[in-house]
Amino acid sequence: MAYRTLVRDTLIASASIAVFITSWWAVVRMTANPFLPDPYQVLIAFFRISTVGDIDGYTLGWHAMNSLYRILLGFIAGGITAIPLGILMGIRPFARSATSPIVEPLRFIPPIAWIPLSIILLSGLSRYVFIIWIGVFFPVLLNSIAGVRRTSVTLVNMAKTFGSSSSEVIRKIIFPSALPEIMTGLRVGLGVGWMSIVAAEMIGGEPVGLGRLILKYADLLQLDVVVMGMITIGIVGLAMNYFILLLEKRLFRWRTAVSA
Amino acid sequence: MARIEVEDLRKTFATETGTIDVVDGVSLSVGDGNFLCIVGPSGSGKTTLLRMLCGLLQPTAGRVLINGEPPDPRKQKFGVIFQEESLLPWRNVVNNVKYGLELNRAPQASVDEIARRYISLVGLEGFERYYPHQLSGGMKKRVAIARALAVDPDIILMDEPFADLDAQTRSLMQKELLSIWSKLKKTVIFITHNVEEAVFLGGDVAILTKRPARIKEVLHIDLPYPRSRLSQPFISYRERILGSLQQELS
Repeated sequence: MAYRTLVRDTLIASASIAVFITSWWAVVRMTANPFLPDPYQVLIAFFRISTVGDIDGYTLGWHAMNSLYRILLGFIAGGITAIPLGILMGIRPFARSATSPIVEPLRFIPPIAWIPLSIILLSGLSRYVFIIWIGVFFPVLLNSIAGVRRTSVTLVNMAKTFGSSSSEVIRKIIFPSALPEIMTGLRVGLGVGWMSIVAAEMIGGEPVGLGRLILKYADLLQLDVVVMGMITIGIVGLAMNYFILLLEKRLFRWRTAVSA
Repeated sequence: MARIEVEDLRKTFATETGTIDVVDGVSLSVGDGNFLCIVGPSGSGKTTLLRMLCGLLQPTAGRVLINGEPPDPRKQKFGVIFQEESLLPWRNVVNNVKYGLELNRAPQASVDEIARRYISLVGLEGFERYYPHQLSGGMKKRVAIARALAVDPDIILMDEPFADLDAQTRSLMQKELLSIWSKLKKTVIFITHNVEEAVFLGGDVAILTKRPARIKEVLHIDLPYPRSRLSQPFISYRERILGSLQQELS
């Protein structure tokens, strides 16, 4: 039964990709715009940049690795700042009242709006890490708070009747209870961070990164590489998201089974 | 081993519209190894009373003494069975049973051995690796009981533990609780709104008034275990307590 669904889903997915590529091709033929690349040209660009490299000699893999390295650092920074603060804000109403007048307006400023400040204040790698950090921080913070607050009071009371200290209650009851929400926050934050790193790379100085690659070739009016870069960004983002989803499924089998 | 003294215990909660007296001068005395059932109408403050007994809640006035000392889960050992789900959903049966033992920092080998012993006492051998969501309501209660017993508690406090179970499971769990109690001889305080359950289990039954809770009377159930629910003395105890509760509700 599950096998049959898998085959059907794969067929539907392949068909819709085929329809998409055909329509793309048709649009290119009909508009006859010399700058608009067709799927074949994009594929050729993919092989060229992957093997030979771009005009500065950097390959597609190297661009992707640089972007991934930046996002990883920002992601770690976002996690280690937002999770403890979120737990604290979830547990202590005082911490929540004290920080929310600052945190609440800040979270509506998109990471991209921080780019000018980061260019002036920071340099090199720290610029990108800062932008990612902004993107990761708020989703993780808000989800951590929500996760802590939905911890069952009975579980906390149970732990207390066994003589658990506050730190044991946090480590053994509250943190594991909140972990599914924290993971959701990390996944959403990774998505936001990934979208903003590309923007940050377009403005930042270094010649590497997927965002930079797109901009270089936009200046040269070579849209085949630009579109190829866009597709790469989409696929890498999708792969990261899928990886975290897989991790969530493994970690929280107890939870998925409850909701099923 | 524990003796419980409750002296003129009171609890008042502040709300937006003023204060509510929930427990209003409860005095009780439970001897070592006794089984006391507390029955009261719904919303009569039974749970509040129980939470003060194990130190989760500070009384507004009066005091609880356990072997002469105020309740403190870091000094005495409590085995509390809650009405609600209290298993950690991310831990399997054996790791749930170990929860209280981990805090005592006992050596791992003896923790494993104790957990195994209590899992078998509640009849859950073979389910050690199951997660709570894979268990029935009755099995979850057994795990909670095993977890509470595993720490070798001075006192067992049960807050309507079988209220969510179906009738057959409930009656089975009552019998098993009695058989465990007769083996371990712990002091038990068992809260329920089910009169039959109270007469079936309790050495003494304390009847609460409606809120604010006071002790209306304490009845000694002078029947040997195991008790038959259909015997004439059982029925007359039941009728007597029901009548007493009905006066409260009218």
